[in-house]
Amino acid sequence: MISNFSSPSVSAGFSIALTCLGAAMLLLAATLPASAQSQAAADMFEKRCYSCHNIGGGDKKGPDLKGVTGRQRTAWLHEFIKSPAALNRKGDPAAADLFKKFAPEVMSDQDMTDEEITTLLTFIEDLSKKNEQFIPAGAKLSRPIAAGDSEAGLRLFTGKTALSGGGASCMACHNISGAGLLGGGTLGPDLTAANVKYRDPELISILQNPNFPTMNSVFATHPLNDEEIVQLFALFQNAKLANPAVPAPTAGPSIEPRFLLIGFAATVMAIACLNLLWRKRLRGVRLLIVRRRRQ
Amino acid sequence: MDVRLQISMVFHLDKCIGCHTCSIACKNVWTDRKGAEYMWWNNVETKPGTGYPTAWEDQEKYKGGWEQKNGQPELKMGGRVLRVLNVFHNPNMPTMDDYYEPWTYRYEDLFNAPEGADQPTARPISMVTGRPIDIEAGPNWDDDLGGSPVYAANDPNLDALTPEQRQEVFDLERLVFFYLPRICNHCLNAACVAACPSGAIYKRGEDGIVLINQERCRGWRMCVTACPYKKTFYNWSTGKSEKCILCFPRLETGQAPACFHSCVGRIRYLGALLYDADLMLEAMSVADDKLVEAQREMILDPFDPRVCEEALKNGIDDRTIEAARRSPVYRYVKQWKLALPLHPEFRTLPMLFYVPPLLPVMAKTDDGLYDTANQELFSPIEKARLPMEYLARLFSGGNIEHVRLALKKQYAVRLFKRLETVGDLDPAQVHRALEQVDSNEEEAEQIYRLTSLPTMDERYVIPPMHREEAMQMLNDDLWEEKGEAGIGFHERATRGA
Repeated sequence: MISNFSSPSVSAGFSIALTCLGAAMLLLAATLPASAQSQAAADMFEKRCYSCHNIGGGDKKGPDLKGVTGRQRTAWLHEFIKSPAALNRKGDPAAADLFKKFAPEVMSDQDMTDEEITTLLTFIEDLSKKNEQFIPAGAKLSRPIAAGDSEAGLRLFTGKTALSGGGASCMACHNISGAGLLGGGTLGPDLTAANVKYRDPELISILQNPNFPTMNSVFATHPLNDEEIVQLFALFQNAKLANPAVPAPTAGPSIEPRFLLIGFAATVMAIACLNLLWRKRLRGVRLLIVRRRRQ
Repeated sequence: MDVRLQISMVFHLDKCIGCHTCSIACKNVWTDRKGAEYMWWNNVETKPGTGYPTAWEDQEKYKGGWEQKNGQPELKMGGRVLRVLNVFHNPNMPTMDDYYEPWTYRYEDLFNAPEGADQPTARPISMVTGRPIDIEAGPNWDDDLGGSPVYAANDPNLDALTPEQRQEVFDLERLVFFYLPRICNHCLNAACVAACPSGAIYKRGEDGIVLINQERCRGWRMCVTACPYKKTFYNWSTGKSEKCILCFPRLETGQAPACFHSCVGRIRYLGALLYDADLMLEAMSVADDKLVEAQREMILDPFDPRVCEEALKNGIDDRTIEAARRSPVYRYVKQWKLALPLHPEFRTLPMLFYVPPLLPVMAKTDDGLYDTANQELFSPIEKARLPMEYLARLFSGGNIEHVRLALKKQYAVRLFKRLETVGDLDPAQVHRALEQVDSNEEEAEQIYRLTSLPTMDERYVIPPMHREEAMQMLNDDLWEEKGEAGIGFHERATRGA
């Protein structure tokens, strides 16, 4: 759903004159050195888009944006980025197709200025032209995984160790194999096979910037620190190793048969307790008298 | 002294013929509705018997009424905490089977059945489910069955007898029964009022009638358990509880309640009693066998000028006090000590009193001959087929003396009248009989007249209800109500439900 370029390169600078862009771009180019501008765009893409979009490397939650500027008009892209839902409501066929293809995901409205969007689109177009894949620069662990990290990660996941930033523990919304008897929440997807669905840099990037609408509202102001990212990353690696048979999770939470079973058992227990509590209740005085007489 | 007024009742069991006319009159007027089919605000039971609902007197099962706990009366169904805990499941309720599943017959089958070899029949249909049922019980299933092994044998009052006595009651020669018509007792210390979590039940200040406000009732059914007489009923259609209203719309217009009015045997008396509410806690706190006396103590003499003065102070009208003076209930209960409350040991201070019945005498068989000769003055009383302990359990909390006096006095009146009309008795002996029951010829004559020859006005002395004054108590400004909804109730006529 985004923009208009074709040959990317993150670190190398590129020339704005070569791309022949509009006046706004020229203005921007005049104020910033090319490499710095590209770096800012790459940062912005990593923070705001990468959790759902790739540039080269295939669809994620949202479509691969490689060559998007060639597929759609610039004005359409601006409108869509600002409010995908609004465009869809207007009955735009292209928007409707995207909504249908990626349901139930809905891209949230992005609070971005026209200049920011233009920078981003330029960046995407550039990368697409170079036929390069976007590699997030910051998506690196601060240190190699060590022994014990996975266990520490599980403690963070289940909330036994509080997150330093004050964010809610993962278990409130997610499940992972080995997370307690009842498992975790079912609001978010099961993370047992998270590292099958995402490549390592993507996973690290998500841990750094969980830019999904629901998670962003929780973690934007309560980010994880580097150490926590390492430990949780180690946990995700381990969970997959422990359960090689687990398929890549499908979209949307599934009803756990375990919950049904526990619910059923608890209901039976509750009825048994009430029955015990009210065991002396009247069950028919006349019937008792008649029955006693008949015996 | 806190003088209050109670419309009170006496049922003269010696006159009851068990015809159920009272029940039918009440049913036709009040409970011939959906959800109320099974209710019998007035019912007539055969005693010994289990009654309606089955074994209602067995408070070990139903937990009705009050009991003394740490010197304080407390509801037998439990204190506040227990009642709150049980509010969503009240475990001591009679089941529908204990009342009975109301039914009718599919009469149209008699007319619509196709032609066949057999007579068509009208199948019994449940009035709750609408489906055919097999009738197994009814509200007076054991009617007239004195010695029935299921129902009579399980009468909770028989516990008062020794095993030998109990055995004898079921001997063929001793088989006996009498009728016990029952309505709401409109108790002074009604357990239903105390148990209601919604505050929907109240005792009317002006006449002591206990009513359930249908707008406030939330159907918790605590009253059903609390009432030891099982005279509040849950209407399964409206989801509210209902009970006998002593036909207050009739009383307010000077008419006797429907069951009184229709009574064939003229066993029912209704009149006002003045009582001292200050003595109430004391009266319900004494030992079981003292309860009758304590309750009698509460009833005040309407001829006493001091009582009248206090009554006037409490807003009881002169004409009402005048009605209390003519009250047949006052004479039967207080002056003559003939009428006793039903199960005073439930401690609700019931205000419906019963004159215990003179029962058939025990005959002894000598050489195949029936001998019913009286050796002693009160032989027929002492040798009645039903042991006096049984009646004492019913009417006096186990105190035989009250029952004995009531029975002996009735018998003495009979002797007195026999001497007068037949003349085959020794006058000295009759005089001795009257003396023994602390009575005299004048009183005997009065008892005779009120028992055998009373007019309707003598049986039902209904004080004027002064609804117009009650209206003023509800609202200072009557002009506001003028032309709105008559001078009836406070609520204005509005459209809709």
